[in-house]
Amino acid sequence: MAIVHDEIDSWLAADLYGELSTEEQRQLHTHLVDCAACRKNHQETKTMNKILEETLAREKPSPNFEQRMLAGFRNRVPQRAGLGRSLIDLMRFRSVQFTAVAAVLLALVQVGRVFTLKSTTTPNARVHYANEQLSEEPSQIAGGLVPARASALDKADELAAGKPKDLALAPPPPMSAETRSTTVWSSKASPATVAPAETRQAEFAKQTGAAEEPKAPSADTYRANDTIEQAQVTNRKLIRNATVELEIVSFDDAIQKITALANEGRGYVATTSSEKQANGKLRGDVIVKVVPENLDRFLQKIRGLGELKNQTLGTEDVTKAYFDTDARLKNARVMEQRLIEMLKTKTGKVADLLQVEKELGRVREEIEKMQGELKYWDSQVQFATVTISLAEKDMEVPAAFLIKERSQLALYAPDVEKIYNDIKALASQTVQITNAQLNRDYSGRVSATVSMLIAPEESESVIARVKSFGRVENFQTQTERIAQDGSPSAVGSENAKTKRDKVELNVTISREEQEQAFQQTSLRIRTSSVDEKTKDLRSAAEKHGGRVRSSTFSRDPDGRELANVSLRVPMKNYPALMQSLDSLGKVEDVTVQRQDRTGTQIDEANAPADVSIQVYSQGNIVSHQSGPFATLRRTLAQSAGAIMWSVRMIGVAIAFLAPWVIAIAAIVWITKRIIRARRKL
Amino acid sequence: MDASEREQYRAAINGDREAFEMIIRTHSRILFAIAYGILQNREEAEDVVQDSLVKAWKMRWRVRDPEKFPAWLSMIARHRAHDLFRKRRSLRFPDEAIQPSEATAPDTAAMDQQLHSALATLPELHRAALTLRYFEDMDYQTIENTLGLTNGALRGILGRALASLRKQLRPALASTD
Repeated sequence: MAIVHDEIDSWLAADLYGELSTEEQRQLHTHLVDCAACRKNHQETKTMNKILEETLAREKPSPNFEQRMLAGFRNRVPQRAGLGRSLIDLMRFRSVQFTAVAAVLLALVQVGRVFTLKSTTTPNARVHYANEQLSEEPSQIAGGLVPARASALDKADELAAGKPKDLALAPPPPMSAETRSTTVWSSKASPATVAPAETRQAEFAKQTGAAEEPKAPSADTYRANDTIEQAQVTNRKLIRNATVELEIVSFDDAIQKITALANEGRGYVATTSSEKQANGKLRGDVIVKVVPENLDRFLQKIRGLGELKNQTLGTEDVTKAYFDTDARLKNARVMEQRLIEMLKTKTGKVADLLQVEKELGRVREEIEKMQGELKYWDSQVQFATVTISLAEKDMEVPAAFLIKERSQLALYAPDVEKIYNDIKALASQTVQITNAQLNRDYSGRVSATVSMLIAPEESESVIARVKSFGRVENFQTQTERIAQDGSPSAVGSENAKTKRDKVELNVTISREEQEQAFQQTSLRIRTSSVDEKTKDLRSAAEKHGGRVRSSTFSRDPDGRELANVSLRVPMKNYPALMQSLDSLGKVEDVTVQRQDRTGTQIDEANAPADVSIQVYSQGNIVSHQSGPFATLRRTLAQSAGAIMWSVRMIGVAIAFLAPWVIAIAAIVWITKRIIRARRKL
Repeated sequence: MDASEREQYRAAINGDREAFEMIIRTHSRILFAIAYGILQNREEAEDVVQDSLVKAWKMRWRVRDPEKFPAWLSMIARHRAHDLFRKRRSLRFPDEAIQPSEATAPDTAAMDQQLHSALATLPELHRAALTLRYFEDMDYQTIENTLGLTNGALRGILGRALASLRKQLRPALASTD
């Protein structure tokens, strides 16, 4: 009972709200009968409840409360459909987030692979190469498969690094006069040797057991990998070949350099042969295999070794043939399999079986042939073959010399066509016109070129005549002594015969106007009456045999007059003209520019001199450029310019800073949002 | 919580609007009671419910466990009402805030005034429990679930709340008797 009395408030409330069990109700009522204080409380609580019910009933939400809430919700959160919305919704789930991150990572890996794919082919080619090594040398295989492979790989490494040890050619031994030494080292897998090598390898693979197999897969696997890789990088099968003929000083030096260059280009020297000739000089061939990508670079470097006599470069596209053969090989293999099945299962007549056996033999032969072909192509495609023929210099002493004279003559003439015809008329038994051309361009300028061959004894007189046709601007003669059997720079041939060849003369004729002035002068003349003085100037120029090339006249708003006259006079009349100019007015700012051409013969007296003269008057004393208004205007214009400039600079600064400000503001805003959201929840 | 209810909450969390609207229908009165318990003002309470619903829709993806969705909803409403209450207190005198919402007879008006003053002195939780009881006629178990109280805690809470009111309104109670 004491419990009820102590906790009477809870009991009364529970009684009020019907939360008492029957037993509890009984207990409460028993206590209320006994305790007057609790009875009073009970009474008050009931009244309280009534008041509360009455008061709070008025505060209850109206019956359509839910409807209002719904309407409000729909109003404030408009139904948004569409892919974007659902995507955003989707991105809110952790599983989707993980998936997205995984997808992005995968994509990055793929992109990375695309970039690194090229470099991965190199080691692969290296392995392939090492494997070929392996199949070539059975003695090494006999020594144990794994060590052999390792050593082969080492060798391939050395090749790739450009450090040959025993593989590449050591400097060839000094050769005696009659010996002919040939060093052969070839990785070419010829059709005949490949098939047995392969079977041997298969046997070894069996012997080494399954544990070794992942370490040393058969050559075929590597070949397959390699082909796939190659097909991915370039689907084309190109065989590149080049031949180079060089003349060098020392054969041994050249061989050493070629070996070094080949290693640089990830290649190797396959064959060298040399032969001593009667005059004690060496001549020989070197066959170099280089990676096709490096072929061009290699050839360029090879050329630096000596004098290039001849070079050919050929590319053969075997793509189609290669893949055709590949397809046929696959078909033949299927055929072989089918024939074997037939032998196994069919127990027909003996004659039939024999027929099948025969057919099988034929198919197998075909397969081997095609395999050989493919391997050959592979080896050809993998490396480009460069055949270098070397010959030591100065093999033959020239028997005779030929003096060849070549002359260039440039003429200026007032009438190009006339001179052109005159020169053509010179043709005779001793003068042979090889080429004559008259050109007229769109602006009506005429020029002509004539080439002729003149008999040596006539040359002096003919050239003199041609020179007299016009004003010589330039004359050059070149003399060359040529050894008649084609090898120049023969030393110690003083006693050789010398013969003069026909003289070659090239003449170009152009009109005088096109000629560049020998001397250019520019000056200013100040005078009060520009118009009048300009007329005087024109007459003075004509008097001195000059021609007016152009003239302009202008008057500006300040009353200043300006005339530009440009003249051309022969050099000999130039001083006289300059003197006559003094009488026209005050001569100012004289500048003279002279073009001295060295090495050419110039007719100085007749060479043209250009004079450009500016005749001007001083005009009004006070121009619009001075005075208070002009100053004010200028000041305003300058300050406006300065303001515009600073506005532009501010614009640039804003454009420079704006993205950062926006980004920082966005980050701050988002962070604030997140913090606020965290605090609220 | 039965399976269909849980399914409804899950659908709402996953963005099913219809499921969420159904939850609005079933839960907005409870939210109102909670908000009113704190604010003692119908208009404000309604606003709070409205805001809470919108906010709940926008933040629904934060709820990982559908079981906790109703409790989470109540929590949003309580926080929101609390915010408003604090803001109001800083703006106005508390006495002014507590006004009878409808024009009533003078004696009942006086009674209302007294009752509201008395209610205002109660702790928030007590007021919320009272309003849930009187508005929605909820039994103790449901009220406890809605307010996130432990089993049996409500009995003491309501007892103390009623006792407190009774003591404050004793003179008025005497006059009505």
